[in-house]
Amino acid sequence: MSEPIIKVERLAYSYPRKELVLYDINFEVNKGEVLGIIGPNGAGKSTLCKALNGLVPHFYGGKYGGRVVVAGMEVLEHTVAELSTKVGIVFQDPEEQMSGLALTVWEEVAFGLMMLGFPKEEIVRRVDEAIKQVGLEGFEKRSPFELSGGQQQRLAIATVLAVKPDVLVLDEPTAQLDPIGKFEVFSVIKRLAAEGSTIVVVEHEIEELATFADNILLLDQGRVKAYGPARDVLTQVEKLKSLGVDPPSVTELTYLLNKELGANLEVPITLDEAIKIYAEALGVS
Amino acid sequence: MSAGISLLKRTAVEANTIFQRLDGRVKFLYFIWATVLVYIFYDPYLTLAFLIVTLAMAAYAKVFKPIAMTLLIIIVPWIILGVLILALPFGFPWNKTVIGYINVLGYRLPVYLEGLGWGITWPLRISVAISSALFFYLTTNQAKLVATLFKMKVPFKAIYMIIATFQFIPLLFDEANTIIQAQISRGLKTDVGVLQRIKNYLAVVIPLTISALNKVQTRAITLESRGFSAPVKKTFLYEARLTAADWAFLGIMAAVTVFLAWVYVTIGYSPVAHLQWIWA
Amino acid sequence: MAETKEIEMKEISPTGKAIIAVVLIPTIAALNYVGGVIVEALKAPIWGDTWGTMLGTLIGGFWVGAAGGFLYNIIMAFTMWGLPNWVWGFANVAVALITWFLMKMNLTDLKSLKTWAAVIGLFGFVYPAFTTAISIGVFGGGPLWKPIPAAVYAAVLKSTGNFYLANYLQNVSTEIIDKPISYAIAVIIASRIPKRFILAK
Ligand SMILES: Nc1ncnc2c1ncn2[C@@H]1O[C@H](COP(=O)(O)OP(=O)(O)OP(=O)(O)O)[C@@H](O)[C@H]1O
Ligand SMILES: [Mg+2]
Repeated sequence: MSEPIIKVERLAYSYPRKELVLYDINFEVNKGEVLGIIGPNGAGKSTLCKALNGLVPHFYGGKYGGRVVVAGMEVLEHTVAELSTKVGIVFQDPEEQMSGLALTVWEEVAFGLMMLGFPKEEIVRRVDEAIKQVGLEGFEKRSPFELSGGQQQRLAIATVLAVKPDVLVLDEPTAQLDPIGKFEVFSVIKRLAAEGSTIVVVEHEIEELATFADNILLLDQGRVKAYGPARDVLTQVEKLKSLGVDPPSVTELTYLLNKELGANLEVPITLDEAIKIYAEALGVS
Repeated sequence: MSAGISLLKRTAVEANTIFQRLDGRVKFLYFIWATVLVYIFYDPYLTLAFLIVTLAMAAYAKVFKPIAMTLLIIIVPWIILGVLILALPFGFPWNKTVIGYINVLGYRLPVYLEGLGWGITWPLRISVAISSALFFYLTTNQAKLVATLFKMKVPFKAIYMIIATFQFIPLLFDEANTIIQAQISRGLKTDVGVLQRIKNYLAVVIPLTISALNKVQTRAITLESRGFSAPVKKTFLYEARLTAADWAFLGIMAAVTVFLAWVYVTIGYSPVAHLQWIWA
Repeated sequence: MAETKEIEMKEISPTGKAIIAVVLIPTIAALNYVGGVIVEALKAPIWGDTWGTMLGTLIGGFWVGAAGGFLYNIIMAFTMWGLPNWVWGFANVAVALITWFLMKMNLTDLKSLKTWAAVIGLFGFVYPAFTTAISIGVFGGGPLWKPIPAAVYAAVLKSTGNFYLANYLQNVSTEIIDKPISYAIAVIIASRIPKRFILAK
């Protein structure tokens, strides 16, 4: 087995003059895997994302302990700029992520490459490719601010894809979008996951997450409460509910059927699985 | 008011005439050059000539309208008010030479040359400065502007701040509009007393500012995450390079400079209108 | 057991402030601009285009306020007012300086008479001397094209014949109301934003 791309060992952190917000975090992500991070508000999910590209601790300062290694680089020893070629990060508010320097979608995607000093021909090639990856062809000449929320968020994803990072970190990328926007963005993420990108994603839409996450990490008050294959974590219905996190509804339903009615069903985590399991249980095909 | 905003809100679609193709530095130089010259001379006719040339170039480059609008809003009222107060006997201390009389509300008032010259020349000078600056700004697209500033050795962080201001203004403006509409629908009225109007102002400005400051942090984080501070040479999408047209334009400016220097030496600082320096 | 061993913590100093200032400065400049536009929309009796500079100073320190105000003036000079107007950028630097001074002297309590006395003295009388020097030196002086100051100008010129005094008092008449109100606005906003946005000490 090769080295994992992300290795987090005993990570602990507090913002300057604040309490600890992360404590004793351990996990690994291998190439091509998707790790979902879930947890209640204020659990430290965003802080953990920022620990992957060095914003924590470099940008904010504060107290830091443990080790985070991404693509062979120890975060503590490298600047955010150096890490930006390894880790691409997308936040929840699409408009706030626009650089402020680009007039068009095309220029916005080129921004990161310009900042990193890529040669011009390389920029042209990569920008076109990234725009295609998120399905924004035809919008190249539009102003980034004239796009819908979903398009803007796809643009934000394209801006990091253009740099070809080893890891894509998405912090609640659909939280501020309407249903159509959510659908657009999830489609892009799922395609990237299927094509073998390494992704760390914070997501409140557990039902969606269940369809493409390999592993899940449950965070509460800065500590890992559960970590493992998506199925193992999402089927811990009691634990999730006690922390205020809703498991997928098919999971919860089946769990209750098993518990209250003594049914003995395999617990599904996605709708597709549920249909199969229930069809078998009911004897239809 | 929205004239200003639409001026700042640039689009990527634009005309492509010889003036758009001129190097940004050349147009920038033109604006400095024209402005300095109209300040060196004290002559409304000469100043007007600069203004006409600039506006003609602007018209050819299809950017006449926004410039004319700006001049109309700023310069015309200024000239009217300035000339009225300065050229008539309202105490402009340097008034000496009476050049005629006019009737105002039944009073026969003298018109003074000094106040008239002053009241017309100053706003015209500013007109030249405004129109030549806008000519540069409106015919130089943003990517070229960035390249131009970079060639002029402006540090990259400063370039970012300049360009970002242009981008943030329309964004904030849209947000302000949304807030104003929301407040109006909650019963805010604009035809009220002075104190209430200040309160109205606060009701719009406080949420606007807080939301703007909230965005600062995320934007800073995004920039940092995308390599803004990477200690490498940034790549620019346009190379600023001087072409034959640029050299021709520079040549014309040089010739005019020589000619005007000759005029200044042989005729003086007010070659057409023959005005006197006020302070002399 | 490894789990129970304490994690060794290191103190890391932040690098983010520099880049926050890079984003804060254009935001301040844009707020100055939009603040001035909203004044027109709501017909508020002030200029309203300097509280951004003051706010920038209160939250980001002298340099952020001064740079934001200066940038605003450069951009206005470039696009709307004409090149020579960039010198008003220095007026904004003066605004930032006065604000910084008031902040250092702890004169930010709007309920205190001392604050108002200092604010009116500095912004109402000292600051106009500065703007008068600019307006005569660079723009030839003369009436502003707003009715009240223009009337003040004409009246003073008529009664005293003193060009400089007329320009000064005209400026006093615009600043003495505008700047203290703007200062109050800046202080009120600064007191309402989360502490972690405040970079100035
Ligand atoms: N810049 C900061 N300075 C100080 N404290 C902060 C900062 N950002 C976040 N915190 C604090 O750290 C804790 C964890 O916040 P974080 O944003 O990481 O949580 P989260 O799990 O992403 O929450 P949410 O679901 O609301 O996005 C919170 O208590 C928060 O108040
Ligand atoms: Mg979060």
